[in-house]
Amino acid sequence: MLEAVHLTKHYNGVTALEDLTLRVNPGDVFCLLGANGAGKTTTINLFLNFVQPSSGTARINGLDVTEQSLETKKYLAYIPETVMLYKNLTGLENLEYFSALAGRSDCTRVQLLDFLKQVGLQPEAADQRVGTYSKGMRQKVGIAIALAKNARALLLDEPTSGLDPKAANEFSALLARLSQDGVAVLMATHDLFRAKESGTRVGIMRQGKLVRTLETTEVGHADLERIYLEHMHD
Amino acid sequence: MLATLLRHDWRSLSADASIWVVIGVFAAAIGYGTINGARWVAFQQDAISEARAEERERLERHETAIVRINRENATISAFADPRNPDAVGRSLGARYVVLPPTPLAPLAVGQSDLLPSYFKITTDARETVLAATEIENPHRLLTGRFDLAFVLIYLYPLLILALTYNLLSSEKEQGTLVLALSQPISLRTLVAAKVLLRFTVFLAAVVGLALLASLIIGVDLGAPGVLPRLAFWAAAVAGYGLFWFAAAVAVSALGKPSATNAMVLAGVWLALVVLVPSLLSMAATAIYPVPSRVEMIQATRVASDEANAEGSKLLAQYYEDHPELVTGDAQQAMNDFNLVRVAVAAEVERRVRPVLDRYSQQLTAQQQIVARARFLSPAILMQDALNDIAGTGAARHRAFVQQVEQYHERWRAHFVRLIFEKARLEDYSGLPRFAFEDEETGAVSRRVAGSLAGVAVPTVLLAVFAFVRLRRYPLVG
Amino acid sequence: MFTIARKEVVETLRDGRFRALAILVLALSAASFAAGWRHYSDVQRQHLEAQEATRTQWLNQPAKNPHSAAHYGMYAFKPKSRLSLVDSGIDPYVGVAAWLEAHRQNEFRYRPAQDRTAIQRFGELTAAEAFLVVLPLFIVLASFTAFAGEREQGTLRQLLSLGVATRDLVAGKALGVAAALGLVIVPATIIGVAALAATTEFGGLRADVPRAAWLAVMYLIYFATIVAISLAVSAWARSPRTALVILLAFWFANSLIVTRAAADLAAWLHPTPSAIEFQTAMERELSNQEEMRVRLDRRREELMRRYNVSSMDAVPINFSGISLQEGEERANEVFDRHYGGLFERYESQNRAFQWAGLAAPMLPVRSLSMALAGTDFAHHREFVTAAEEYRRGIQRVMNDDIARNSKPGAAYTAGAALWAEVPEFRYELPGVSWAMRQAAPSVGLLLAWCVAACWLAARATRRLGVV
Repeated sequence: MLEAVHLTKHYNGVTALEDLTLRVNPGDVFCLLGANGAGKTTTINLFLNFVQPSSGTARINGLDVTEQSLETKKYLAYIPETVMLYKNLTGLENLEYFSALAGRSDCTRVQLLDFLKQVGLQPEAADQRVGTYSKGMRQKVGIAIALAKNARALLLDEPTSGLDPKAANEFSALLARLSQDGVAVLMATHDLFRAKESGTRVGIMRQGKLVRTLETTEVGHADLERIYLEHMHD
Repeated sequence: MLATLLRHDWRSLSADASIWVVIGVFAAAIGYGTINGARWVAFQQDAISEARAEERERLERHETAIVRINRENATISAFADPRNPDAVGRSLGARYVVLPPTPLAPLAVGQSDLLPSYFKITTDARETVLAATEIENPHRLLTGRFDLAFVLIYLYPLLILALTYNLLSSEKEQGTLVLALSQPISLRTLVAAKVLLRFTVFLAAVVGLALLASLIIGVDLGAPGVLPRLAFWAAAVAGYGLFWFAAAVAVSALGKPSATNAMVLAGVWLALVVLVPSLLSMAATAIYPVPSRVEMIQATRVASDEANAEGSKLLAQYYEDHPELVTGDAQQAMNDFNLVRVAVAAEVERRVRPVLDRYSQQLTAQQQIVARARFLSPAILMQDALNDIAGTGAARHRAFVQQVEQYHERWRAHFVRLIFEKARLEDYSGLPRFAFEDEETGAVSRRVAGSLAGVAVPTVLLAVFAFVRLRRYPLVG
Repeated sequence: MFTIARKEVVETLRDGRFRALAILVLALSAASFAAGWRHYSDVQRQHLEAQEATRTQWLNQPAKNPHSAAHYGMYAFKPKSRLSLVDSGIDPYVGVAAWLEAHRQNEFRYRPAQDRTAIQRFGELTAAEAFLVVLPLFIVLASFTAFAGEREQGTLRQLLSLGVATRDLVAGKALGVAAALGLVIVPATIIGVAALAATTEFGGLRADVPRAAWLAVMYLIYFATIVAISLAVSAWARSPRTALVILLAFWFANSLIVTRAAADLAAWLHPTPSAIEFQTAMERELSNQEEMRVRLDRRREELMRRYNVSSMDAVPINFSGISLQEGEERANEVFDRHYGGLFERYESQNRAFQWAGLAAPMLPVRSLSMALAGTDFAHHREFVTAAEEYRRGIQRVMNDDIARNSKPGAAYTAGAALWAEVPEFRYELPGVSWAMRQAAPSVGLLLAWCVAACWLAARATRRLGVV
């Protein structure tokens, strides 16, 4: 579903990403681990075509994102570190707008409310302005957008950082549900524990390179931490 | 898709207080501006009817006096004799010529507060006749009017900029832009929708409010030429607005933060609306300075001193130039005060003409510079267009003055003939009459279209620039 | 405090935008001073020459009846004040010359603005315009980030955690802006002084020095007000963007909206009559022959009483001189009433306008600037009055001569000796204290603005929030 082939990105002579090749299949949850500046966000931006690759290609559902940028976004949902919404609008209005942008302008209010319910947003919050929302609530609206759009691939950029444990837990549960439905998930994160819990695979990045890929079923939590630190040291 | 974007953008915009503040300010300014324009036109019309009433009353009074004098065979001094063509032409029978305000004059005061819209025609020298002015407070002339044209030229762009300077940057700073663009929608479509919405709101607000205000103050929509002029007016408002939208989008496309955009756009506004016009005015007057009118006064004085000294010699000369005026005994006429004066006046004008021509040459040269350089600032073009539409610009006034000059010539020729014929007036039905022949709508349309084209060209360039630059809009970083 | 100021200056100087803006403002004021200087020199030369020529013409009149000479008259040409090169004020919109003839007070005619193109109405680029409109924008742009920017960057938190007193911080910021401003104002002032110094061919500068000094003081108070307002808004606003938008809105209202809105409102309160209405009313009074007859009879009786005779034939002076003078006196009363009324109307408009200074600090400075430059309406009126007084003087000299020296019914001519009895017309600009008295409410308003702005700044910064 998500595919990077020899993907490379330089910013003014600095290499942000070097020769990345990876595949995320439907149902996979691929977690990118790595320090700040390791190239995780760059990878996600490249899939979103927010930045253009220096070489290599990123594909979504087999389509090159630079050539068919709008087409590929139909399959895609993106959840940044904090889902920023229009403060003056209610959660429901935000959801309605974004799903309309995604081509789902036919959704009824009942359907939209149902999506918000599915992601666990308190029913009374749907008609409140987003300005009053906590971060956890915003992330839930983000997932609701993905649901409404029926996205086949999900790009997550440190979606749980700064969430309280309960909210983070709820978020992971939602993620698990999506992956069971056959969504391909690519998630950048610092949280080794979450990566082990929700991911099917983890990739460790360092200075723009993917240095190691592991199946989460193969390693325990302690092992993962040890391997990660090993790669960080040398 | 566009409909979705528009609906959402409107929802988002209308939930924000700023648009209501902007529209409120705008409505108040348009209302105040239109009322001021209407009051000014009403003032002019009052002055015109006052002039007409004074003229009618004076002519009737003197005509009655003629009957009385003839009946009683009274003696009366020549300068007060209503039958004496010299006295009648010089003061008793003086007629007003009027530049009537057009039905759309309330839309722009223009130059009409500075350039007089009526003159009192006498046989005095042309310069004396045309030197009359309205007695407006000079302080107010300096400050300028708060009319609809001011609102449109100065305030309208600023309000547009207030709503568009952060068109993209605010979404980028809020973080909603990335979320929107992770949907299958391009940045250009998004920008187009935002601009379209704001433009529609503005155009509807301006045109709607202004039309409403004009109807309230009683602009006669049925009068000839009003509807096409109104269409031009709406086109000017739309075109000038689009220019500022294009400027805001072009600056936005550079991807700078909101505060930088605001600074840049404030600077652009200041440059185009304040600095370029005043620098241009300064340059025009520096390159072709019009000398102070004292030079003309002195030249006239010297010429009349000399001509008066030559007196009857000039009259002989005058007879040579105008043999058709020789009636009766020319030799005896040499001592006729009235006849000598006509000859002297003609001689003074002949001598002063070159000095006067220099004033008009310099002013024409200035106007030519400005006519070419006005394309540097859409604000100047807008001013030209609005004044032309409202009929308060310099061009219409020039046409008026030209016709007045011709009429003044006719007036003088009429009385010169009567003076030489030693005629006695028995009534005033034969006095030359004046009717202003207004410009053809076609000529006005051509001028306005020229100004609008001048606004359209930079608009298109800016839009193309923005379109190209948006491709490279930095979404991250 | 000086450390903070120094850091502000360094930061500002390193900003390319600031440098560009500073150069722009400087170039504008240099250009406007140059244009103002040239215009002043040209016009002043033309007017002085013309004034001399009109005097020579008067003196060189051939022998003629004094009343003919009175009809021939003289011209009064309005001299330009030297500081009009800083602020041309209403000069373009008032006439430059009036004919001083018998029987009539003529208006000053030929307004320079009528010999210009329509773009003049966008405003004249004078040094005053640069100081009143452009420089405040410069101040706003240089200072809107003062607190709001540091707050956003998080450096404000750091500064306050170091134990820097807010008072020092505010003073330092203000000093920093002032120093940056000085880099523009000082060279601009030097250029201005140079322009003034280049006009010594028209007489010494002494009379203009106090006016120029006060002018500088008033502008400095104005700039201080704008700096204080900018700092107050910057301290109060949550983000630099908000601060900027508020300040830009203030700048626009201050420099453009309030002036025009107030001028129209003032005219609404005290409407100006139309020229035709004014003329017709005046003519009606002037042509009242009955009143004239009554007055002349009274004069005859007075004369007979004074010379203790019973018939006018026995009065040793020529009554036609008295009659002419009586006509002048009566007309003068009419002129005083009508022109006085019109000028009073203007003054009431201007006073009402002045009070709009409560809404915008630019208004009082603008009034003061014109007053000190000698280009406001009060100065114009002063000159018009002086010229009219002079005209009345001419009439008195001529009519007295007729009364004393001519015989009724006999042809009479006077010569050069009588023409020379009329003194030369000299007009001196009133002193600076007169100008300041005329503009006293503006001084009060400006000071009030300055105090209020400083108080606002102090208040907004005292409770400076870090977030």
